[in-house]
Amino acid sequence: MTVRTCDVAIVGGGIAGTAAAAYLTANGLSVVLLERQEVFSDLVRGEWLAPWGVAEAQRLGVDDAIAVGGGWEIREWTQWDEVVAPGDAVTVDMTSFVPGAGGPRGIPHHLVCDAIAEQAEESGAEIVMGARDCEVDAGEEPIVRYRKDDEAVEVRARIVLGATGTNCRVGRQVGLPMNTSVDHWGAGLRVEGLTDWPMDVQAMGTEGERNFMVFPQGDGMARLYLNYPTSHRHQYRGDGAAERFLADFELEALPGHGRSVYAAARPIGPLKEWPAITYRPQHGIVTDGVVLIGDEAGTSDTVLGVGLSCALRDVRIVSDVLLSEREWTPEAFLPYREERAFRMERLVFGASVIAKLQCEFGPEATARRRRVRALMDENPAAQVLGLLNMVPPEEVPEFGFSEFFVERLFRETV
Amino acid sequence: MTTTQSLLTDSVHVNGVDIAYVDKGEGDPVVLLHGFPDSHYLWRNQIDPLVEAGYRVVVPDQRGFGESSKPQDIEAYDMRTLVNDIVGLTQQLGIGRAHLVGHDWGAAIAWMYAFLMPRRVDHLAVFSVGHPGVFATPSIEQRKASWYMLFYQFPGVSEELLRRNGWRLFKEIIGADGDHRRYLRELAKPGALTAALNWYRANRSPEAELRTERNFPPVLAPTLGVWSTGDQALLEEGMTGSQKFVKGPWRYERVEDAGHWIPLDRPELTTDLLRGFLGSQSSAAAPSRRRRL
Ligand SMILES: Cc1cc2nc3c(=O)[nH]c(=O)nc-3n(C[C@H](O)[C@H](O)[C@H](O)COP(=O)(O)OP(=O)(O)OC[C@H]3O[C@@H](n4cnc5c(N)ncnc54)[C@H](O)[C@@H]3O)c2cc1C
Repeated sequence: MTVRTCDVAIVGGGIAGTAAAAYLTANGLSVVLLERQEVFSDLVRGEWLAPWGVAEAQRLGVDDAIAVGGGWEIREWTQWDEVVAPGDAVTVDMTSFVPGAGGPRGIPHHLVCDAIAEQAEESGAEIVMGARDCEVDAGEEPIVRYRKDDEAVEVRARIVLGATGTNCRVGRQVGLPMNTSVDHWGAGLRVEGLTDWPMDVQAMGTEGERNFMVFPQGDGMARLYLNYPTSHRHQYRGDGAAERFLADFELEALPGHGRSVYAAARPIGPLKEWPAITYRPQHGIVTDGVVLIGDEAGTSDTVLGVGLSCALRDVRIVSDVLLSEREWTPEAFLPYREERAFRMERLVFGASVIAKLQCEFGPEATARRRRVRALMDENPAAQVLGLLNMVPPEEVPEFGFSEFFVERLFRETV
Repeated sequence: MTTTQSLLTDSVHVNGVDIAYVDKGEGDPVVLLHGFPDSHYLWRNQIDPLVEAGYRVVVPDQRGFGESSKPQDIEAYDMRTLVNDIVGLTQQLGIGRAHLVGHDWGAAIAWMYAFLMPRRVDHLAVFSVGHPGVFATPSIEQRKASWYMLFYQFPGVSEELLRRNGWRLFKEIIGADGDHRRYLRELAKPGALTAALNWYRANRSPEAELRTERNFPPVLAPTLGVWSTGDQALLEEGMTGSQKFVKGPWRYERVEDAGHWIPLDRPELTTDLLRGFLGSQSSAAAPSRRRRL
C-alpha cells in the first residue's frame, strides 16, 4: 500500500472539489483531489451559473478557467410563458445585477471541471482521476483510502473535504447524513445546431405539464432542461427519449412555437432524468477532520439554479478558514456553518416558492401563475424572490422570506 | 484531463529569449511558422507527413506564444526582432538553407526572412498573408475586414475588454474558428494575452509593417501563395497581388471550404500542397552585384 501525505484531501472533483483544489494550491497548501470518473464527462448537472456565482468564481481565480472550458455570458432572459403571448414577453437584462460579473454563464459543466482541474494541477495539486472505493476515516488525523488501477493508496491529510455531490459518499461514511424530499422531476440534454436561437437570450417558463429552460452556451450550443410532475417520471427513458424530449420544446409560449429549438437541436451529450431533491443535513456538515462542501453539504431545489454558485461560495468560505486558522478544529469552521445555514434557509425557502410557481402543473397552477404575474407587473417588489438567482441570498430583501409575503403572493384574489 | 497539447522537443536561448520548438526527422529542413494566436501546434497535422516525406521539420513557438518567452514590452515584438529569432534558431540548429512555411503572422515573418536573407531560403510557402508591399494603403474592404487589428492596439484597454464577462468579446472575434478553445486556454495564462497582442502593437498588421520601405528586395525563392475563400480577415488581393514582388517561380492556390486557419481546416490538402511544392523548383538567380567604381 502506498501512503502519501498532504494538507488537504478532497474527495469528488465536481465544481466544488476542483475549485477548492485550484484555490488552495494557489495559496500554498498541498492538495490531493480524488475523482471517481476516469475522464470528466457529461453527468447532466447544472450548467447555468448565476451572476453572484460568477463573482465567487472571480474571487477564487477560476473565472478564466470557466471561460476556457466554454463558459458563455448570457445577457438577457425573455420571460416566455404560457400566461403571456410570445410577443409580449418581458426581457430582463441580467448583466448589471452584480457589478463586474456581467450576466450569468452557460457552462458545459464537465469541460469547465476539466479546465479548473487543469489549472489546479498546474499550480501543484495532485489530481487523481479514476479513484475508486474512497473510504474516509474522520478524526483529528483523518485518512482517505482509495484504489487506483490495482493499487491501494492511503492519503493522510490534515483535513478532508467531502465534495461528492448528492452521492453524499463522505457524509454517510463519517456520520453526517441528509434528509431528503422530492418535489418534481426533470431531464436535461446538451445540444448544438441552434443557429436561429439568439445566443444572448435564455428562456425559462412553464407551459402545460412542463417547465422549460434554454441556456445558450454560444456557437449554437445550449443546455436544455425540462421539469415535470413526478407522475411523469421516466417519460424520457428508453428508445426515442431524446426525440421525445426535443419534440416537447414545441411550445406555444416560444416565438415560432419553439421551432428554432425542437427542429434544429442535435444532442451532444446524454439525456438524463433526475428527481429534484432537496437535501438538508440532519446534524451538521463538519466533524473532526472532515468538512462537507457543495451539494454534499445540502441543496435547494435545482429549479432555482444556484447549486453551482453555492458550491463556489462554500469553497471560498471554507478555504478562508483553512488559510487563516492554524488549527483546523470543528470550532474553526463555525463561521462556515452559520453562513451556510443562513444561506440555505433563504435558498430553500425561495426555491420552494419558485417551484410552487413554475413546477406545479394543471389548470389551477396556471391560474395561480397568471395571478402572480399580474401582481408582479403591478408591483415589481413582488418579484423579490426572483432576485435569488441573480444576487447572493444575503442581498435579497428580508421581506421576501416571510410567510406573510408568500401568503399575499399566492392568495386567490389579487 | 485534457492531454497537454504540445509536441515540443526542445528549447534554446536565442536573441535574448527562450524559443521552444519541435525538431523532427532527417533531410532537407522545413521551418513551419505559426501566426496569431497560435503555437507550433497549428502544424500538428503536417509535421509527421512531412517527416515521412523525408524532411527535417522544425516548428518553433514564436516569442510571445506557447512555451516560448513572453516579454511584456511592445518593443520586443518588432518585426526584425521576430525574424532574428528564426535566424538565431536555425543557426543554433546548424541549418543554413531551409524551406520556409508561414501562416498569418508567420507568413509575414517568412516573407521578410525570404527577401532579407535570400541565401537562407530554399522554397517559400505563405498562407493567408501576402507580401507586405501589396498595399501602399490597405483598401477600405481590407480595413473593415481587419478592424480587430486596430482594437488590439491599445495597451491595457483591450486586454480588459477582451477578458471582460468571461472573454465574451474574444469569443465573438474568434468565433468557433481555428483552435478557438486552445487559444483561450493559452491566452488566459499569465502574461500571454499582452504578449500576443504586442505582435499587433509593435507592427500594426502583418502587411502594414514594411509599407514605409517601398524598395523591397525581390523574393528569389520559388514561392507558393495560399489563400482561403472563408478568410474573414484577409482579402484575396493581398495574396494574388504579391506575385509582383516575387522573382522566383510563383504559384497561387485558392482553397475552398476553409476559413482563416487553412492548416487546420484542410489539413491533408495543406500537406499535399507542401509535399508537391517544396523542393520542386529552383530559385531565380540572384541579381549580380556589379562593383561600383
Ligand atoms: C439536472 C441538474 C440541473 C441543475 N441545474 C443547475 C443550474 O442550472 N445551475 C446551478 O447552479 N446548479 C444546478 N444544479 C445543481 C448543480 O449541478 C450542483 O449544485 C453542482 O454540480 C454541485 O457541485 P458539486 O461539486 O458539489 O457536486 P457534483 O457536481 O455532483 O460533483 C461531484 C463529483 O464527485 C464525484 N464523486 C461522486 N462520488 C464519488 C466518490 N465516491 N469518490 C470520488 N468521487 C466521487 C463525481 O464524479 C463528481 O465529479 C443542477 C443539478 C442537476 C442534477
